[in-house]
Amino acid sequence: MKALIFDIQRGSYVDGPGIRTTVFFKGCNLRCKWCHNPESRSTSAQILFYKDKCISCGKCAQVCPHGLKKCTLCGKCETFCPTSARKLCGVLYTPDEIVSEILKDKPYYGNSGGVTFSGGECMLNVGFLEECLRLCKSSGVNIAVDTAGNVKWASFERVLPLTDLFLYDVKCVSPDLHVLGTGADNRLILDNLAKLSRSGAKIIVRVPLIPGFNDDEREFVKIADLLSGLNIVKVEVLPYHSMGEHKWAAAGLSPTRYRVPSASEIEKFRGFFAK
Amino acid sequence: MTDRIRKLVELTKAGNMYNYPRDVEFDREDLFLLRQDRESKRLCEFILAQEPVITEYQTMTGFFNCSSVVVGDAFRRMGHEHFEKLLKDFYLKPIDNLSTFEWQHATADYDKVLRVGIKGIVAEIDAALDKFVDDEQIEFLKALKRVAETLIMWARKCSQRASEAASKTENPEYKRNLIELSESLKRVPENPPATFYEAVLTIYICFSADPDSVGMLDRYLSPFYFKDLSAGAITRENAIEYLQELFLMLQSCTDKNSKNFTRGGESHFCIRGYLPDGEDGFNDLSRLIVESLIELPTYIPQITVRWTSKTSRETFRFCMDCERKDTFGRIAFQNDEKRLKCFTGICGFPFEKAVGYTTVGCNEPAFVGAVTGSNSKINFLKSVETLFFKMSDEVISAGSFDEFYALFTNVMSADMDRACAYDDKFNIERSKDINYLSSLLFQGCVEKARSLTQGSADYVIASPMLLGITNVIDSLIVVKQFVYDEKSVPMRTLVSALQSDWQGYEDLRRTILRRGDFFGNDTDLSNSVAQRVYRSLYEYYKDKKNIFGYHFLVGDLLGYNEHHKWFGSKTKATPDGRAAGDIIKFGLGQSEGRDRHGLTAYLNSVAKVDPFAIACGSTVTNVSLDEKLITDDENFEKTVNIFETYFRLGGVHFQLTYVKKEDLIKARVTPEQYGNLRVRVSGFSDYFVNLPPDIQEDVIRRTEHVE
Ligand code: SF4
Ligand code: SF4
Repeated sequence: MKALIFDIQRGSYVDGPGIRTTVFFKGCNLRCKWCHNPESRSTSAQILFYKDKCISCGKCAQVCPHGLKKCTLCGKCETFCPTSARKLCGVLYTPDEIVSEILKDKPYYGNSGGVTFSGGECMLNVGFLEECLRLCKSSGVNIAVDTAGNVKWASFERVLPLTDLFLYDVKCVSPDLHVLGTGADNRLILDNLAKLSRSGAKIIVRVPLIPGFNDDEREFVKIADLLSGLNIVKVEVLPYHSMGEHKWAAAGLSPTRYRVPSASEIEKFRGFFAK
Repeated sequence: MTDRIRKLVELTKAGNMYNYPRDVEFDREDLFLLRQDRESKRLCEFILAQEPVITEYQTMTGFFNCSSVVVGDAFRRMGHEHFEKLLKDFYLKPIDNLSTFEWQHATADYDKVLRVGIKGIVAEIDAALDKFVDDEQIEFLKALKRVAETLIMWARKCSQRASEAASKTENPEYKRNLIELSESLKRVPENPPATFYEAVLTIYICFSADPDSVGMLDRYLSPFYFKDLSAGAITRENAIEYLQELFLMLQSCTDKNSKNFTRGGESHFCIRGYLPDGEDGFNDLSRLIVESLIELPTYIPQITVRWTSKTSRETFRFCMDCERKDTFGRIAFQNDEKRLKCFTGICGFPFEKAVGYTTVGCNEPAFVGAVTGSNSKINFLKSVETLFFKMSDEVISAGSFDEFYALFTNVMSADMDRACAYDDKFNIERSKDINYLSSLLFQGCVEKARSLTQGSADYVIASPMLLGITNVIDSLIVVKQFVYDEKSVPMRTLVSALQSDWQGYEDLRRTILRRGDFFGNDTDLSNSVAQRVYRSLYEYYKDKKNIFGYHFLVGDLLGYNEHHKWFGSKTKATPDGRAAGDIIKFGLGQSEGRDRHGLTAYLNSVAKVDPFAIACGSTVTNVSLDEKLITDDENFEKTVNIFETYFRLGGVHFQLTYVKKEDLIKARVTPEQYGNLRVRVSGFSDYFVNLPPDIQEDVIRRTEHVE
């Protein structure tokens, strides 16, 4: 059993409580226009090309078995590119391989930290995820699952008994707006959230703040209303940033540009969830 | 801070508290006296010709500085003829691009003088005089006795001056202070102090005998502090004032015009750690010492907190909290577990003695009442250079990494043998000087009738500092990874690339820099090579002793001088991607952005590298952190956890730098706007704009762990 992983980040301060190792799965079934990890969208491995780093040395074309005409993901161009302009995104891992990486930082997790499975959407490959969770659980590692929730409830049922914390994205409540921003309807997402809440799972909800998409007080009132009826530990507002922008072009996509919200805006929208 | 201390801070920062040595005319006929007689007589005449610094704000006085007209203290080593010759010929002048001569730090035995007073030491000298028969030894002991008696007379003179100052001041509080000072100086340091105040005063005045480190302040002051506190004789606030006055003296014993005035490594000591009974000694006085220091806007002294596995999280958090609030970068941390493992294991010291260490200078371990042993700086990377430039045929024919590694250890042993030989020669020369002033307060000098320059103390470690350890490890990693594991680079190609200083091999160099599995990434390859290098160092040094019989423990720190630059400038290209002439690295684990797996991976690599504890000499681990990891309270708690874990995993030391890269880059362009930007490099802290350009560049390159 293998899955495509595009990064394993150790010593993370930001993906849940304590010190965490975050495992990024490749593949996502939403198409958020503000995505800061666009390379996570595709479910297959791919070569990212960072044009501004390329010094036109021609090495990649020399070593590529297909002269760059087509790509069989052999990774040779990455190995020989002297400037990291070409990067193979997505490496196959077995659950054991992932967990051995996670266990390297076990001493740092203490009582609060642990592993966060993220993506992409880590719940797409739920069989694989379940196996990783089982291994982590048996090694005593605290588990967080970071999900956008757009999967069958049956998938949640499989990971629920093994997960200590869900980091659950809520982009907006209005279904039309959701389709506009992510290309998908949000009824399944909100439905799953309600069920998850009823199941007694520990949930932190994360709301991205995207100017031009959901920076609307009425929308935030709706989100706050919805969440007030649920059993949520904490709501985090994650302001849009443009640091992922160059990755769109590298993945052969064109980004939608948003404005970075100001500190006072961020504060205002955080205010909707102040206890 | 009280008004009185504020006044003293102003005077200190203006440089007005510095005690300029006064000139003395010696009787020229003393030339006909025996050496020890003459040198000690001159020293005593010199001391009594000095004047204490006294202002109405003081409650303490009596510190004096020696000048080169006499054989003075062991720290500055002025007037030490053979040392001065070594300085002239070898200081800042590497030998054969392999080894350079360095300064020695030390800490006097304040514990003893607080217990028995100078009077008690005189009694020991008298007893020794009855025991020894050798003329030289008798002369030495007599000289010590003369110096001891002179220090008592000096205190009397200071008492007189305090009383004169008391009569001049109008302020009733100040008058009381000065009268108490005058009275106390009639009792101490001749007699053991009776109160906390007198104990601090004793250290204040005796610091003249070795103006380097105050050793283990909380350990010897604790009995006085708790006694006075419970008797209601002092308050916590009184104690803070006394400590601050002591710290201000430590700052002002360096001339403001010296560049060392702003350098934290100039006076460095430890607080707490294990007590002889195996308990963690952190107490209210330790806390008070840290609090007193960080209130002062000064550069000196620097404190290292000794962590033990029994240190509570609350205590560690408190110290790290002080550290993050201290804009002068004066607090560092080290791990007693690892140090004691090497002191008791490799050096064979009994536990009760092993716990009596402090760190001096930049971060050299020293036992109370002793000098640091062999401390030459060594160019460790030279061994790698030799392999690729003088033995390339053997290197090319090495069929496996093991064969290659065996070649490396052979060269390394030969280089280390030579470096040790130089070190012994330095020590032989140093031992030709006789020191009288500091010897009075050092282990073994009276008991063995031997000057501290001659290896008088029993508990000393010798710590050669190997610069470029990380370059060596990274070079070996590159060889293993590219030549033997991946087989993507033939050895012949690597040799040619190095011999042509990467000219024509730019792509290879870039590939190595980009893909090298360098130290700090916590991967199996990088960890295994790094640990293998430390094992080799352990094998080489574990049974080795220097000329005085002291055990070697490896260090890696740089100090004030640019050894890494001198060594680097003469070292040809090395497999880690370094070009000919580039600086070499110092400290353990300095990665300059080559660690790509984050802070925990970096700290794991460092913590695990030396299970043998051979590298518990003068070692430092500088960690550069994004400010956000401590300014934000939630992050700060996580950071505390990380470093506590790092110690539990076996890390020896860490000190933190908080800088944003942009700040540093801008500071190089417009230094005048960044005058207050402070950074810490290898054991000392200084203003960034004061650093030489190469070190500045270094700081900029070092990884910032931004999560
Ligand atoms: S190898 Fe890298 S730098 Fe060279 S042309 Fe290809 S992408 Fe550009
Ligand atoms: S990964 Fe392999 S096949 Fe794909 S472009 Fe690079 S060299 Fe060619």
